Parts: sequence; structure tokens; C-alpha cells
Amino acid sequence: MPQQSHVRGAGILAACLLGIWVVWGAGAEDTPGSKEARERMVEQDIARTGWAREGVKNETVLNAMRTVLRHEFVPEPDRGDAYADRPLPIGHGQTISQPYIVAYMTEMLGLKPEHTVLEIGTGSGYQAAVLAEIAAKVYSIEIVKPLAERATDTLKKQGYDTVEVKHGDGYFGWPEHAPFDAIIVTAAASHIPPPLVEQLKPGGRMAIPVGPPLQTQNLILVEKLEDGTLRRRSVMPVRFVPLTRGQAEAE
Amino acid sequence: MTGRLSPLLGLAVALISAAGIAYQIVLMRILSIAQWHHFAYMVISVAMLGFGASGALLALFRGRLAGRERTVLWWGALALSAALPASYALSQQVPFETFELATQPAQMLHLFTLYLILSVPFFLVSTCITCAFLLASRSVGALYAWNMAGSGAGALLAVGLLYVAVPADWPVLGALTGLCTIAWALLGLDGRAALVRRPVAGGLVLVPALALLLAAWTPVRISQYKGLSYVLDFPDAEIVARRFSPLSTVTAVRSDMIRETPGEITAYPMSELGPLPEQIGLFFDAGSVSPINRFQGDLGAFAFLDYVTGTVAYRLVEAPDTLVIGPGGGTDVLAALYHGARHVTAVEVDPAAAGLVASGFSGFAGGLYQRPDVTLVVAEGRGYLQSHERQYDVIQVPLFGSFTAAASGVHALNESYLYTVEAFGLFYRRLTPGGVFVVTSWLKSPPRDAIKVFATAVEALRREGVAEPGKHLVMIRSLNSATLVVSKAPLSADDVAAVRVFCQARSFDPCHFPGILEEETNRYVVLSEGAVYYSAAQALVSDHAEDFYRDYLFYVRPATDARPYFFRFFKWTSLPRLVRGMGAAWAPFVEWGYVALIATMLQAGVASVVFILAPLLALGRAPAARGLKRWVVLYFALLGLGYMFLEIVFMQRFMLFLAYPVYSVAVVLTSFLFFSGLGSCAAGRLAARSARNVAVAVAGLAAVATVYLAVLGPVFEALAGLPDAAKIALSVAGLAPLAFCMGIPFPLGLQAAANRSDALLPWAWGINGCASVLGATLATASAVHLGFPAVVMMALVCYGLAALALRPMVRRERPGFGAGANAAVS
Repeated sequence: MPQQSHVRGAGILAACLLGIWVVWGAGAEDTPGSKEARERMVEQDIARTGWAREGVKNETVLNAMRTVLRHEFVPEPDRGDAYADRPLPIGHGQTISQPYIVAYMTEMLGLKPEHTVLEIGTGSGYQAAVLAEIAAKVYSIEIVKPLAERATDTLKKQGYDTVEVKHGDGYFGWPEHAPFDAIIVTAAASHIPPPLVEQLKPGGRMAIPVGPPLQTQNLILVEKLEDGTLRRRSVMPVRFVPLTRGQAEAE
Repeated sequence: MTGRLSPLLGLAVALISAAGIAYQIVLMRILSIAQWHHFAYMVISVAMLGFGASGALLALFRGRLAGRERTVLWWGALALSAALPASYALSQQVPFETFELATQPAQMLHLFTLYLILSVPFFLVSTCITCAFLLASRSVGALYAWNMAGSGAGALLAVGLLYVAVPADWPVLGALTGLCTIAWALLGLDGRAALVRRPVAGGLVLVPALALLLAAWTPVRISQYKGLSYVLDFPDAEIVARRFSPLSTVTAVRSDMIRETPGEITAYPMSELGPLPEQIGLFFDAGSVSPINRFQGDLGAFAFLDYVTGTVAYRLVEAPDTLVIGPGGGTDVLAALYHGARHVTAVEVDPAAAGLVASGFSGFAGGLYQRPDVTLVVAEGRGYLQSHERQYDVIQVPLFGSFTAAASGVHALNESYLYTVEAFGLFYRRLTPGGVFVVTSWLKSPPRDAIKVFATAVEALRREGVAEPGKHLVMIRSLNSATLVVSKAPLSADDVAAVRVFCQARSFDPCHFPGILEEETNRYVVLSEGAVYYSAAQALVSDHAEDFYRDYLFYVRPATDARPYFFRFFKWTSLPRLVRGMGAAWAPFVEWGYVALIATMLQAGVASVVFILAPLLALGRAPAARGLKRWVVLYFALLGLGYMFLEIVFMQRFMLFLAYPVYSVAVVLTSFLFFSGLGSCAAGRLAARSARNVAVAVAGLAAVATVYLAVLGPVFEALAGLPDAAKIALSVAGLAPLAFCMGIPFPLGLQAAANRSDALLPWAWGINGCASVLGATLATASAVHLGFPAVVMMALVCYGLAALALRPMVRRERPGFGAGANAAVS
């Protein structure tokens, strides 16, 4: 994994299907931000069903991926790789998830235009922007303060007024705005936080990676049925990129 | 050179031997912290590499060495003083990661580098001791006594040091460096001709001192994949205490983001019943974590513990007298109290963990272990149960390993005597008529752990004479954990109803209970594979269990005391299926401990060829003895393998008896060295008719080993209640005859070879070293796959064949070579 050494940062789900981004890793090198780069990302890396992965088919999600300017959410040094299908470091030991995972998790939520979504782990703000392209309102919580501030700025600059970011511990959710139609967690947890389950509407869906840190986790779809029954389904193995403290501090 | 032994030389040799053995034991602990426990066995192989390389080189340069033994010894001791801390410090610079072995080719190189760096001190120990033997060639027996006394003291010293300091901290390395430096100084005083001027010698002390300083500043490089590394990245994480014992190093970390629950608590209504209590995470050897919960007297704060799978047991018994094995931070004790246990006995194997909960953080833990209804016992759980007849209503067996380690299969090579058929049988016998024992495991995908737990229980119940095990078993699962309940009495309809209600209220899926229906088994945590756990349980309680074991994707046959590797799931025959089924995603499903072992074995092979055989090949031409060489090679290769097979097997087997791995290693290593040494000494006196003597020794060895295979289990059971000191003494006595016999063939073979041609000696040495390096890792691999009895049989076959290979070597032998010296360092 040639890129591993510089894709180190902690805490957020740099969720990538193991080995996948080695194959698709070296991506488009057109002008950062070009429409073609996004189109290629969608066609080649997201929509296509390939070796050991299911392509994302939902047109609404694919359109959102075509629309959001991913490079605007990536710090300057890595902007050239913004549309490559792999996670990138965004400082403070965190990463921006691989585009395929962003699209896949968004599809899992089954979003409708009138939905209110809670996101745990704002990171760069990219996932929130994708959600905001589809849903009516997005609330997002980030534990690293400078990241929360930077994401707020970026989202504002990009015109995503329906996203509200706060700095805090996502474990407890955002009870003031609950319940939510969908919840997406982009940081691995050892268990599904009960407060998030409580803040999910009956009929709502949650996407969350559950598993030990830094190793293979399972991406879980939690459905709260109308009668309150909680159904969990493991949809695919995902994995953190291993991270080192030294680098996290240096960034 | 007089050939006589001065007391100073003897003392120096004792100190160097002590440092060598102690370093071996300390290094095992360091590697357990940095990586994982299974690397402990790599240390033995590393030591053998150092010894072998030294033997090969000294044998090759015998001519040049003659007359310079004292100088080489003196400089060797100085080099050792510096190399011991320096090799530790250097080894911590190598960025080796177990988990990256399969994906990063560079990791193989790192492992190799680690191997070499770590073997240097052992190379020097061996060099020093061999020189001493050459110097005191007329007092080999006396020097041998010093050598062995030193080794024994070294093992004791290591265990003692591990009680007072963390293995890699300066007091431990300092003590070992100090021993070597004193030995060096003694050798200087003993020098009949001054080797260097005194001021120069004084100045040279700076060399080990500087190396030690370097080592003191070098923390253990803890794998970034270990739990502690991860948690220390939390913004508010703070290390609040560190404790140590020979068993583990416990690091206590405080952070608001530590939220450890014994399984999924998704259905817990937190807004109603309150948040999780504040926790201090106890990290064992930087890996698995067990939390201490803040307890302020109100058990109501632990309602969340009623929302994990493990507490289903309390739906089946009321106000139970409970035994909690391995309470760690005490969560299971709290769970028992929350559920109305009238008394809880907490049996904690780790004095460091017990101390932290009982006194270090007693205030935080609400005086948990001071309560009248809680009794803390510091003992190994199985030994405690074995030696106490008391029966319990509930026995809680700890959640296997940590979530982290469980998911990665890094425990694949760990012996665990708590999860064997024999252990489950014991738990069963210690239940009151209405009692249950409970085992919770973390789940992996595709399913394996919980299935093996279930299989273990079925097998144990069958052995206990239960006709229909299925009627005594309940298994339920959540997203990430599964709990098996084994009931002493057949489960009633009320019991089953209670389990159904519990599962429904918590959104858990039942996997097995009497009268279960398939449609109720895959509703809440929906598995794409279908009702796998249900089908597995059905198969295991049926008459078709054998077919199931054979066809299942993983190795789920229960572990036994003879093969106590619960965590071994990998099956070579399944590899193609795994790769086909998972595509690129198959890698995470491999057991990493297993991969590491294979890698270690390859390294051992390469290192032993490069550093032992290559020098011999380059220089060792012995036309005079050409026809014999193959017999010499065969003989010493077989001895090397056989010896290591027995040593490693007994180390792992005695862990059951001695409870602490480090005790077992220290006792077995020292006993083997000491009594093999005695055997070698005795062999020196039996020099004539060596072929017959080897045959007798091998026959004795086979007899003793066979008896042990048969009686060790029952004997361990019968003696489980003895105090540690008595157990250690008995172990030493028990190992003595075996090791004595094992010491005999080596010097006799050496002598037979020497009688034909001195040029054969380097080969004998080198091949033996190579085989020992390989044997150490091969023994572990074989034990995992074939079990201890098979490995012992393999060892006996090796010895038997060796006895045959000796015959061509002794035909027409010429008399008159003393072989004791070489044997002593093996």
C-alpha cells in the first residue's frame, strides 16, 4: 500500500474496502475540480460494480457525488488527488473518506428530500455536503474543534446553508434536533451508541461502522422499525487506515 | 593457560549465565507488550540463533582462538554489557508490525532485522561461556556447576525483577547490564596478565553505561494496532497509573471517551436510565482493555449491564452465589451485584489488576472489593476451581481476549486453558444443581468463535455423561457478542420462556435453546448467510458433528488441554474458499498470529542458514570424513529438533499448572538447562560405548515422556491447590529425569564425531544450532495443528532416529576426546 504512510490520521473512519484503493488508487489527474474528474470518479469508482464490491446505483446519490466539489474539502497539498478513490489526510490525524464509501453510506440511508439527517464526525464537511444535496437539513457533530470550524467555513463558502455543524462528542447525538430520519456515523465505535438509537425516528435508518479501532470493522445498517424493533444488518467490511500519533501532531 | 578454574572465573560465568537467562525471560515480556504474546516463542529461537552462530564461529576459528581465550572472554563480557541494553534500544527502532506482514513486504525485512539485533547478546553470552570452558578445560564439572547455578539464579532474578519494574524500564535492563559489567570486572581481576591498563579499563565502563542510558531513554515501541496506542490518541487521554507483575503490565488510562461495555447495548434507553458511568480503562500489556467503572454505591447506575447478552444468565437463577473468573476492572462483579447476587467471589489471576481495583482506584471503584458480599481471590481461575470443592449458582467465564484482539485473530497461538473441554467440564462440576456457567465471546464474520464455544460445551457435557447436551444449552447473540449458558439441570419451559422474553426486549437473536424454531433465529441482527449459528448448534448436538467439523469453513473443533489453542480457526484447506468467497476482502479473515508464526519460521530458517551454515559451507571442507558428514548432520539436526520440541511443549503444558506463562518459561528453561547439563556431565564419564549409552538414554527419555503424556493431566488436577513454591519445586523435580536423559546424546555424539575427525565438530555445532532455531518455531506450529502428544511423539521419533544415525559414526572410533565443554552451552 504505497500511500499508506501519508494517509495517516486518527479517529475518523477512513473507510476503505481493503485493498480496493490499491487497484483504483492512482486516479484522475485532470485539473482539480473539473467536471470531468467528478464524472470519472462516479463512473469508474462509485457506480461500477467491481471485484468484491457492489456499485452504487441510486441516481440521486450519484448526482450528489457529481455535484459536490470534493477538492474544495481537501487541504491544498493533496488537492490533486481529490478525486482518486481513496481517503486523504485532512489534518489533526483525521481523513476524508474514500468517495466510494461516502456514496455507499449515503445510499444506505435511503434519503428523501424532506429528511433531516444527523452526521457524527464532520471531518472535512464533504459527507455533510453530499447529504445536503439530497436531504432538507443536515446536523453534523465533530469532536476536533479546529476541524469543526474549518468545515463550517468550507460548507458556508460552498453555499450549504442547510448544514449546521457543532463541536462536541457525537456519542450523545444532538437531542435538541431529534428525532432524525437518518443518522450516519463516520467514526468507528465499539458499540452502537444508545443515544443515537433513541434519536432515530421509527422507520429511520442509521449507517455506522462497528468494530475494533484500526482494524476490520463492519459497516452496519440499523433500521428502527415502526414498532421500535431494532434490526441490524452487516453490509460490508470496512477498515481504518492505520495512523500514527507523531504525524497527527505534526499536521 | 592452566586449565584450572579460579573462583572469580566461576563467579563471572555464573553472572553471565544469569544475565543470559534473565534477558531471555525479560525479552519475552517486552515482546508481549510491543506486539503479542506469541512472539515469546520467537525469543527462544532468537537465543538459539545467537548460540548457534557463536558455536559455529568459535569452532571454525579454534586454531586462532587457542591461547587467546582469556582476551576474547574479557572483551566478550564487556561487549555483552553494552550489547544487552543496546540491542533492546536498537530493536525498538525497527518499525515492525504484525498486522502488516501480509500487505507490506518490508515487514519481513523488519522481522529479520529484529531477529538479528536481538540475537547479538545471546551470541556474546555463548561466546563468553565457551571461552570460559576452554580456559577451565580441566575443571569442566565445577565450571558447569557455576554455569547452571547462574542460570537458575537468572530465572529467579528475572521473575523477581518483573515484580518490581516494567520489563523494559531501566531498573530491569540496568540490573542485567550490571551483572555483565561485574562479570567483566571480575574477569579483569582474575587476569594473570593485565589485558589493558587500569585507567583504560575504568574508562571502558562508560561503554555499557552509555548503552544503558540509551536504553533507558527508549520506550517500548508498542504496535499502533494495540488498544493502548489507539486510546492515547483521544484528546483527553491521560495515563493515571501503571502496575506490573510477571503476568502483565497494566496501564490505567482515563478519558471521557472510554466507553467499554461487555457487548452491544443498542437497546439501552440511555435518556431514561442514565449515561454510562465514568470509566478508567485498564490496558493489559497495552492490548486488551477492561474498565473500572465509577461506583458511588448506587447499583442502579449499572442498568446498562442488563442490556448485554452476558446477563441472560440472571434470567435463569435468582439471588445466585456467583463466581467471576478474571474480573479485570470489575464489570462482571457489578453485573452480578446489579442482578441481586447474594455473594460474588472474584478470582483474579493478575495481582496488578486486582491491586488497582482493590486499592489503587478503590475510591473510584466504590470499594468494590471491600464489600461484605464480595470476596477477592488472587489466583488463576481454573486452578482455584480445581482446588476448591465449593459449588456456585453462576460461574462467569471472562469474555475472550479483547474486542481488538478477537477480531484480528492475533490470539491464534495463545494457549488458553480456560476454554478447553476439560475446563468446561470442571465448570460444570462446580455448579449447584440449579446452577449455570456463562461464556461470552466476541463475534467475527464469518462466524467461528461462538460456534467453537458451543462445540466445546457439547463435548464437555458428553464427557460428563450428559445424554442430551442440547437440553442444557442456551446461546444468544447480538451484533458483536454471543453468550452461551450451560445449565447443570435440563432447561425448563419457564427458562426458555425467560430467554425468549429477554431476547425480544433487547433485540437479540437466540441461536439455541431446547425447542427453538429456525424462524426466530435471524430476526434482529440479520445475517446474510442465514441462520448460521442455529444450524451449527443443531449439527453439533446431533450425531453429525464430525461432518460439520470437516466441512465448516473454519477449524471449530473444541480445544483440549492437549491442544489448548482455542483461537486457532484457520484451515489451510479453506484458503481457496476464503479467497474465492471474499475476493479482495479475504485478508482480514486470516489469523494474524498464525501468519506471524509462519513468517517467524521462515526468518528462523533463513537466519540459521545464513549465520550458521553459510560460514561452515564456506570454510568447512573435511575430505577425511566425507562419508560421515551426512550422519553427523542427521544426528545433530535430529537432536536439535527433538530437544526444542520437548522444551517448547513442556513450557506450554506447564502453563496450566504454574498459571503464569513467565513461571512456566522460567521453570522449564532452567530445569531443562540444569538437568541436561547434569546429563551431559554424566555422559562425559560414560564416554565408552556411546552408541549403547545413547540408545539407553533415548529409551529412558521415551519412557519418561510417555508416562508424562499419560499422567500429567490428572497430576496437575490433583495438585492444583498447592502453593506456587511447592508447584515450582515439584515441576523442577518432575522435569529432572526427562532433561537428564536429553542431555546425554549431545556430548556423546560430539565425542564420536571428534574421534573420527575434528573437522566434523563445526558441522555438529552448526547443524544443531540451525535445527534448534527452526525447532523452536516448528514446535509451536506443530502443537497448534497436531497437539502436544503428537509433538512429543515427533520429538521421540527424532531422538530414536538420532540413536540410529549414531551407529555409523561410532564404528572404528578412536578414543580420547573430552566433550563436556561444548555441551554446556547448548
